Amino acid sequence: MSQEKFYEEISDAIVNLNEDKATELANKAIDKNFNILNVIEVGFGAGIRRVGELWDAGEFFLPELMRGAKIMQDCLDLLIPHLQGGIERKTLGKVVIATIEGDIHSIGKTIVATMLRAYGFEVYDLGADVPAEKIIDEAIEKNVDIIGVSALLTTTMLGQKKVIEILKKKGISNKFKVILGGAPVTSKWVEECGADGYAGNAVEAVELAKSLLRI
Amino acid sequence: MLFHDWLKDDSKIILFDGAMGTEIFKRGIEPGKIPDLLNIEKPDIISEIHKSYYDVGSDMCQTCTFGSSSLNLKKYKLEDRIKEINEKALENIKKVCLPTCLIVGDIGPSGEFRPPVGNTTSEQWQSSFANQVKILENGVDLWHIETISDIEEMQAAIRAVKKNSEKPIIASMTYNKTPRGYFTIMGDSLEKCIQILEQKKVDVIGANCTIGSNDMIGLIEESIKLTNKPLSAKPNAGQPKIDKNGKPFYEYPTKDYARDIHDMINLGAKIVGGCCGTSPQTIMEIRKIIDSL
Repeated sequence: MSQEKFYEEISDAIVNLNEDKATELANKAIDKNFNILNVIEVGFGAGIRRVGELWDAGEFFLPELMRGAKIMQDCLDLLIPHLQGGIERKTLGKVVIATIEGDIHSIGKTIVATMLRAYGFEVYDLGADVPAEKIIDEAIEKNVDIIGVSALLTTTMLGQKKVIEILKKKGISNKFKVILGGAPVTSKWVEECGADGYAGNAVEAVELAKSLLRI
Repeated sequence: MLFHDWLKDDSKIILFDGAMGTEIFKRGIEPGKIPDLLNIEKPDIISEIHKSYYDVGSDMCQTCTFGSSSLNLKKYKLEDRIKEINEKALENIKKVCLPTCLIVGDIGPSGEFRPPVGNTTSEQWQSSFANQVKILENGVDLWHIETISDIEEMQAAIRAVKKNSEKPIIASMTYNKTPRGYFTIMGDSLEKCIQILEQKKVDVIGANCTIGSNDMIGLIEESIKLTNKPLSAKPNAGQPKIDKNGKPFYEYPTKDYARDIHDMINLGAKIVGGCCGTSPQTIMEIRKIIDSL
């Protein structure tokens, strides 16, 4: 089988949400000592991007998106220890993500975290109802590139602004890119807060994260 | 029973209430972590909001218990106060309900998902909703299970109600408009939901929240082709925006919202009202339309 055909098979396994097949192909790549980086980027990466496109087009819904991302993640966990030349290359960047204090809506934030992980970011998901100060402390400690703050309620959205205000006060706003999400969040709100970007859904969030880090 | 009489009366369009949360914010109250807790902390405000809807002509209003099921309260560490919150909610609405009007028991989503999105089972959903239903049963005339995005969760809620109550059920899913039609975020199509809700013998099939009134017109148009059951529509007033003072507002004009509702009534909607962003003003405009029919 040609390499292209093999990558296509991987991509299809992800899109078909076929966990057994995807795992089998990941193990095969390891056994045959294939170039693991290519397997991840050309095979699995293409698959999850197609899942994202289907979600965007309204063909896939939350269960398919989450399932696809989970299969992808499990396969990455298998493959990454076998990366030739060490695992340094594996992460696209580090992200700390949380739903802001006072808001317990975690599903949107979890989807974004899952997709970012599936695409190769190292993600620290702090959960929901997290104070702005704590998000920043974690961002500093983990030395992340991006801070993602989610809010579903119009009342808790103000907490998103607080994160940026604290960063400015501490004089470290240039150290991180801050991205905002949540149903009531708009690009206008992002502009008003002085955040670096807004994404309407999880697929856009990945693109946004990549473009902010010039990937 | 009054509600069944209303359903049987072809000339009757039933007017529901409008938003609760939006009205709470307008009064300058930070809702804290869950508006349902205001039933205890600010009961007068909750009663005042219910009263404002009854006063402008709502035939029925729903209890401020959208998030008062066990699973949802648990997330706020309030599960041990479920009885108190739901009982106070009943008290707050009973005080102001007019003699010819009804009280609807409001049941919102648990906020928990089944695999692969979350880890919750149908049994957990059912038991969580049942805890709420058993308390509200003492004071409500009918039920509104609303803003549900998973038809499995809706079925669990229906089972919870039917096991503990014989009162009528309005079952409202929340849909997005996609290029392929109306779907919940979990991927349940309008057609599938309506088919299941018919099988489950709910009294009214509804849709609420997520989409604005302009998109809800198409949803009612589709629904009417799929079922003979009475239909309920409680759309949003567009999408929320934040003003310069950090206050949320909805920019979709009341007049346009009322016109959209008029279109839905013409298409065959039996129950109309409002979700996020609507107000007593909105309901008053709709009252005028209904009275002129």
